Amino acid sequence: MDLQTDVLIIGGGATGAGIARDLALRGIPSILVERGDFTSGASGRNQGLLHSGGRYAVNDPEAARECISENRILRRIAPHCIEDTGGLFVSLPEDGAEYRATFIRACEVAGIETIPLSPRETLSLEPRLTPDTIGAVQVPDGAIDPFTLVVENARDAESRGARFFLHTEATGLLREGSRVTGATLRDRLTGQEFTIAAPWVVNATGAWANQILALAGLKIGIALSKGSMLITNTRLTERVINRCRPPASGDIIVPNDTVSILGTTSSRSDDLEQYEVTPDEVSLLVDELSRLIPSLRGERFTRAYAGVRPLVQVGETDDDRGISRGFALIDHEGRDGVKGLVTITGGKLMTYRLMAERTTDFICARMGLRVPCLTQAQRLPGAGLGHALQDRLLWLRRQTPASRGEILCDCELVPREAVDAILREGKVRELQDILHRTRLAKGTCQGGFCVYRLLGLLNEMRKAEGRGDSNRILRAFLEERWKGIRPVLWGISLKEEELIESIYKGLFNLNAAGNDGSAGGGE
Amino acid sequence: MTPATEPRNPARTLPDLCVRCATCMAVCPVARVTPRFPGPKQAGPGAQRFRSAAEASVDDWIELCTACRLCDTACPAGVPISELNLLAKAKFLDERGRGLRDWLLVRSDLFGELAARYSRFVNPLLQNRTVRWLLDRTLAIDRRRMLPPYEYPTFRKWFADRQAPESAGRPRIAYFHGCFTNTNEVDVGKAAVALLEAAGFTVTVPPQRCCGIPRLGVGDLRGAREMGQRNLSLLLPTVREGTDLVFSSTSCGMMLRHEYGPLLNLPGAQELAVRLFDICEFLVRRQEENDAAVRFKPLPRKVAYFTPCHLRALNIGLPALELLRLVPGVEVAMLDTECCGLGGLYGFRKEKYPISEEIGKGLKKEVGRLDPDTIVTDCEGCRMQLRALTGREVLHPVQLLRDALAEG
Amino acid sequence: MKRWDLIVIGTGLAGLTAARTAAEAGARVLVVGRGIGSLALFGNSIDVLGEVPPGVNLDAGVSDWIGTHPGHPYARTGWEGIAEALVAFQELFPSPYRFVAAGLTNSLVPTGTGTLRPTYLLPITMRAGAGLVAEETLVVGFRGFKDFQGDTVSLHLKCRGVNISLPRYGLEGLTALALARLMDEEPFRKSLGEAIRGQKAGEKRIGLPAILGLCDPAAVLEDLEGVIGARVFEIPMLPPSIPGLRIFNRFRERLIAKGATFLMGNPVTGVTVKGGRCEGIRVCNPPLETEYRAEQYILATGRFLGGGLWAEMDRIVEPVFHLPVSQPAGRGDWFRERFFQPEAHPIHAAGIATDRSLRPSGEGGAPLLTNVRVAGSILANHQSIEEHSREGIAIATGYRAAQEALKA
Repeated sequence: MDLQTDVLIIGGGATGAGIARDLALRGIPSILVERGDFTSGASGRNQGLLHSGGRYAVNDPEAARECISENRILRRIAPHCIEDTGGLFVSLPEDGAEYRATFIRACEVAGIETIPLSPRETLSLEPRLTPDTIGAVQVPDGAIDPFTLVVENARDAESRGARFFLHTEATGLLREGSRVTGATLRDRLTGQEFTIAAPWVVNATGAWANQILALAGLKIGIALSKGSMLITNTRLTERVINRCRPPASGDIIVPNDTVSILGTTSSRSDDLEQYEVTPDEVSLLVDELSRLIPSLRGERFTRAYAGVRPLVQVGETDDDRGISRGFALIDHEGRDGVKGLVTITGGKLMTYRLMAERTTDFICARMGLRVPCLTQAQRLPGAGLGHALQDRLLWLRRQTPASRGEILCDCELVPREAVDAILREGKVRELQDILHRTRLAKGTCQGGFCVYRLLGLLNEMRKAEGRGDSNRILRAFLEERWKGIRPVLWGISLKEEELIESIYKGLFNLNAAGNDGSAGGGE
Repeated sequence: MTPATEPRNPARTLPDLCVRCATCMAVCPVARVTPRFPGPKQAGPGAQRFRSAAEASVDDWIELCTACRLCDTACPAGVPISELNLLAKAKFLDERGRGLRDWLLVRSDLFGELAARYSRFVNPLLQNRTVRWLLDRTLAIDRRRMLPPYEYPTFRKWFADRQAPESAGRPRIAYFHGCFTNTNEVDVGKAAVALLEAAGFTVTVPPQRCCGIPRLGVGDLRGAREMGQRNLSLLLPTVREGTDLVFSSTSCGMMLRHEYGPLLNLPGAQELAVRLFDICEFLVRRQEENDAAVRFKPLPRKVAYFTPCHLRALNIGLPALELLRLVPGVEVAMLDTECCGLGGLYGFRKEKYPISEEIGKGLKKEVGRLDPDTIVTDCEGCRMQLRALTGREVLHPVQLLRDALAEG
Repeated sequence: MKRWDLIVIGTGLAGLTAARTAAEAGARVLVVGRGIGSLALFGNSIDVLGEVPPGVNLDAGVSDWIGTHPGHPYARTGWEGIAEALVAFQELFPSPYRFVAAGLTNSLVPTGTGTLRPTYLLPITMRAGAGLVAEETLVVGFRGFKDFQGDTVSLHLKCRGVNISLPRYGLEGLTALALARLMDEEPFRKSLGEAIRGQKAGEKRIGLPAILGLCDPAAVLEDLEGVIGARVFEIPMLPPSIPGLRIFNRFRERLIAKGATFLMGNPVTGVTVKGGRCEGIRVCNPPLETEYRAEQYILATGRFLGGGLWAEMDRIVEPVFHLPVSQPAGRGDWFRERFFQPEAHPIHAAGIATDRSLRPSGEGGAPLLTNVRVAGSILANHQSIEEHSREGIAIATGYRAAQEALKA
């Protein structure tokens, strides 16, 4: 199988999907390849914060302006991916009224609307905040669902002719002299190899940018920043809560559907796949954020995770002074003399659309096309799923009109029919793909009960057979789940863990040699 | 007993306690018979994760919970599941509104006295097929449900009119008879008085109102709180003068002892609770302290004892069983199946009657197997249901114990 | 105030065994549990030590194990103690619903994931699962019953599987308890048997989820085998566990018959200790806290899931008596990097250290409380999940703790 297209996009994060959509809206064909599922990198491992820009207002006014501008655009084009929670920058006595005043002035300069709140007003809005607060500033922060955002970008692009290959990695770049003319690819699930020829290749792999560039013998200056986050079992606050002080570890709580996400720590890392959250990082987050929410120590945490964000080093952005310092669009012809290859990296989820716009503008210009960007106004397709019980039940009833639905995931109310619908689309290829597209395994027990049921369903449909056996998949899932829950195992989460371990290792004996799925019948 | 000092968890964190183990699913009588009720795990802490006070209630399944509380007694994680359900039900019904039927059904104390006074006319009407058909059609009170007949004179009237025995020097005990004893099962009250007197007490019957549990059944927290406040103002003077109070209805008792405080948060609830006892619990204690205060004569009888759910929730063991064992000749077998299915007024509602009947089916079979002379249980709701299910004699333990009292 | 001979804290298999052992010996026993213990979750067959391979006699296997694991709870009882306790357990289940072993060795029985699991005593409803031959076996699942995935089981056992739908009974969306109670009804199981017979293609053994009746599993088994014309066996599945509930109900029934008092649904919130003796425990049923006193106490509250141990962010505590907990140094050492590893996570060996008579001991091994004994999974130095020794430890140490308490 060998294919060709105008633009080959490597990387299925927000930026890559955004570029595919932007190109499609301008009528330019593209193919996107992604090593895993959508949002396998930093796009799926962040806090899900719709920045108002307040966070950058004091230190990086340009980033702040960029944020508030994209904030308004995203509210317009992707309302179903956003929960308009609003945000508070909460001051504690040690943060001082002076910084608060500086913050308000900086927001004004960046064009971010603020409403100062007295301590009493602050506490009436968010009663779980510490009574020590000396007041807060309300800003238009919100919560965003990155997976839906990316999937809807992809879906819209697809409906306009773009193509997507998931679980497909680039193994080499096709070269004709100094020109990159496409890539060789390998399907990671089937092992099948193929090529895609394209006059333009966009490297939108974020933190993995140098892995792709290495295929062309190139390298850019990127530092990796690891950020760790914690997820609570229930939603702690209605609004995004920021600490009103210069950015530091453990200063933000983002409500996300039924849960809250606590963040973040920041440390330099040189390992792209190092997602493990250490006990110290967990303690740091809990200690710091208990200053904002005193009851946090008694809170139940269901998972910890980390993301690796690419930070572009000075020097890489000089080629194009129009581009913000937050992200870098690198034309490798200008920088390295390699034609047909562009790298877009750095930046943040908030600016994915802008990054896509700049990249597409650049390619259009080189192609000699003068087509305006439409992504600022054109709404994304799809509808969101709210987190309130009402939304869940209405959704449930739509899924299971017979009202006899078999609820696979009790924690997040996911019925068998929702999985059936996704399987019918025919796009999911492995267990995690199904989990990404539903809320299966995202609730209190983190899949402890529902994944067994889901695999049974796949067995019943004879879907698991082809790709190895369901107990092997079950074990792999439990191993993956372990990475997320191990850092938060104390209190009630530890009780839950004993339950799950007793089921899978005790009752189901999956730990025993030979019971990894290869067990046969008989004795 | 002493007041508990441990602070209660704020309601918001309660779903956190649930480890999703599904033990509650192994005891819930409703989820067992209808898939329309998703079970305590999902209706309680599961749904609670999604609920927000600002939003309208939508989970109409919550109405199917009978508030039997078996989930609470089974949960290994200490999740107050039935309380979560009750609060959700209250919010749901507050928003949706309650019909005339509920208004009528929860006012048993108001209508009871009147109905009892005219029981000669009322009772035939209640048994009349046309009247029951009409009630079924107009008020959705299921016509298959036997309506309990009224009795006159009421317990209160009987007590006020009777010749009280010599009481000098005897300790006092106050009796909370509840509505049903007063107007529908007067003999339970008479038996309670006889037993307490045989145990050496002078019985008083303080003024009292309906405990309010029927209002909880329709999620009317405000109404329940009002009933509670009235009862507290009527009963507190008695306990403040140092007199203990006993009840013979486990449901009234559970309401007075455990709902007035933690759920309804009524001032004085704890003060009442520390001096309030189930009548059998009280008599067992009396037997222990005062070596066999009451003596029983032989009573050859094959008895099946059924444990009411609310007795389980009171969590005082099976004191009636301990007393019955003191009666020579009484042979007790346990009807240890879960929940009779009536759920108080739940089983009267037309839309819930089939659920109620289905839950009770196993119990009926078990009674058939044991074939006792008499069925005994502490709760009037269970007695009604057992009578309807089996057509047999069903008594309160104090009635049987009274029959076994040794003379003198 | 009533005084008991023995108070058992915990309603898991260890607590129930201890309570029954004492009650059968004539002691006045109070059992206090926060909820139904782990039987409702994992109770199926009786594991003693899965590490002993099938074919090797358990007496030798366990004795060898004790030799290499001197701190293990089995070292407190020896094989003789285990064997004696198991015999007592078997006596509680007379024919027809018996627990049997394949001689003195472990059997391999299929699980809900189609793996095989070593276990020792099997209820007769699981016996035909031991030593199954794939070609002769049919696994039957129920469409819409999510906690048992028949296709997963048959796929891994490499045998044939079918999913049955019985629309007449509305099987879809039913819970394990609902299915078990339906099985208790003769017409249901006969028509199910006929449906299975229709699917049978010469198989000699039929595997079903473990829902073969709650009340009368032996009759269910007999009827199904009769109608289908093949041997039938239950396969353990996701919690809740019906076979575990059978065990629980049987213990409860016997305990009540022996005069024990059963309190369930509220936690022990405090203890009174004086001069190295426990003088009383307090049980909180808000708004009340009640004190209970006994000569002897047995702590059988389980591990983290049961509430016997509690992990704070930095250390593990025992919340009832505040006993010292043998544990790894810090949170970073509790768990290994991977979920599945040959060795258990270090935290599983944490627990309460005891002297030879199961009294909690401090450094140096001297008993900390002279009238308190510790039984079951809360004990230190075992890895019951990996070892497959959960029930064996519960029964052996529960039995021994009661014997020691009675001796004292």
